[in-house]
Amino acid sequence: MTTIVVRGVRRVCIFAVLIGVLLPVMSEPASGQDIAVAIVVHPQTQVDNLSFEELKRIFRGDRQFWEDGRRVTLLVRAPVAEERQLILDRIYEMDENQFREYWIGKMFRAEVAAGPKLVYSADMARELVTVIPGAITFVPVSEVSSDSKVVRIDGRLPGDVGYPLSGGT
Amino acid sequence: MNRSGTVLALLAALATTPSSAQTPQVQTPFLQAFLFGDAQYSEQEGTVNDGFRLGQMVAHGNASLSERVVFFGELSISARSSGYSLAMERAIIRYEFSDRLKVSAGRYHTPVSHWNTEYHHGLWLQGSVARPEAIKFGSSYIPVHFVGAMVEGNLQGLPLYYGVGVGNGRGDNIAAAGDVGDVNARSAFVASASIRPRSLFGFRVGGAVYVDRISVGGVDLADELITSAHIVWKRGPVDAVAEFINVAHEPVAGGPSESSPAYYVHFGYRLSGDASDVMPYMRYEDMDISPGDVVFTGLLGDYAAFIAGVRYDFDDLAALKLEYRSEEFGAGPRVDAFYAQASFAIPVAGGS
Repeated sequence: MTTIVVRGVRRVCIFAVLIGVLLPVMSEPASGQDIAVAIVVHPQTQVDNLSFEELKRIFRGDRQFWEDGRRVTLLVRAPVAEERQLILDRIYEMDENQFREYWIGKMFRAEVAAGPKLVYSADMARELVTVIPGAITFVPVSEVSSDSKVVRIDGRLPGDVGYPLSGGT
Repeated sequence: MNRSGTVLALLAALATTPSSAQTPQVQTPFLQAFLFGDAQYSEQEGTVNDGFRLGQMVAHGNASLSERVVFFGELSISARSSGYSLAMERAIIRYEFSDRLKVSAGRYHTPVSHWNTEYHHGLWLQGSVARPEAIKFGSSYIPVHFVGAMVEGNLQGLPLYYGVGVGNGRGDNIAAAGDVGDVNARSAFVASASIRPRSLFGFRVGGAVYVDRISVGGVDLADELITSAHIVWKRGPVDAVAEFINVAHEPVAGGPSESSPAYYVHFGYRLSGDASDVMPYMRYEDMDISPGDVVFTGLLGDYAAFIAGVRYDFDDLAALKLEYRSEEFGAGPRVDAFYAQASFAIPVAGGS
């Protein structure tokens, strides 16, 4: 027992040094978009403000229920949309491959019953979020309609200084 | 549309979003399914079973029966010398009260090891060709499967995830779960917890405890206590895991408790730019079986291995892994081995 622990600690130290050398060269995700997105929820969802950390937990599937007990339904734009790229960079901190593997893994581990539901246009996202109870999505600020329920992030709305989902911030 | 776009469009078809012309409800029951599979070639010094081998074909499905009731199932088909065998690997029915409280029953991968619950029978998801020896399917070291009931959840105010379960424990064949009932009067208990700091996405540290009584052929052999701890950093290009497991057996007939520890350190790093489909990885693992262990004697021996490999994702849902292993079985000499494995995942369309 003692021998294996001593031998193991020595080998783990070697790996730790190696990991320590490699970690600093991790590349940070790029985020050069010029777009700003608004977070929109179903009109009856009892939330007006979310912290950015809580928003990340919701979109990452780590929080699956609203406070009122309704299940969260994620609506996510299909690839190549500029607003999707911003969300992948800022919320998921992943590229497309990592995003795909992340959700397949979550489903395979039985952590979630279903992955995000893809939508193919801002119109579709805006329309579905108003009819699916518990739904949450993101749309470009320019596509927000007057009947959309936009949620504040850390108390800020799109256009406010320090809003975390604006390109360039 | 690029490769990722094609796959995501296929995934989108699975996650059938109701169109504006359809009913504005998330459809239930709703099924999402995947097929996983692999084929492998191996060359190992001193063995006669080298060559090509079809790995497990795995079907996995998630079904939302209602807003709060979900079912997860995993079936495998494995190649045997006598043909193919079909096995129910996981079948879990779960009622989700909230994020904090989810109650389920069925057949699980025992949450006594991080790798055992992070990766399942579909090999495409894991970075290496095979699981660490201590956790591999069919091994007697830990009870890989668990039949029983569990309470799980995560505490919203804290970055704490927990799981507590009671079940049958090991079967008469200790490498198998007690699928048709407990083999003795003592239930198995498992408790696991992990901390995943919100400000450090991708990092987690946790551990588990498992207790059971092992009986073989109607004879109570030993009381089993398994403890484990893990630390994980999986973010961006880095896939780093270190895990330590200790299995202790105290003979029912009397005598000292014997401990058999094992650990592994796995590190993978995905390259950047044009080489982003390539992930080199390496692992060191060690398993030290106590020679006086009343349960493991004759079943398990010491094992140590250094593994180095490369994973190449030649398609969005298919990967080729090339792996070199330098393995040491018991007191024998080191043995070199080479493995090549092609693995894949296939989304299967489903719906209500």
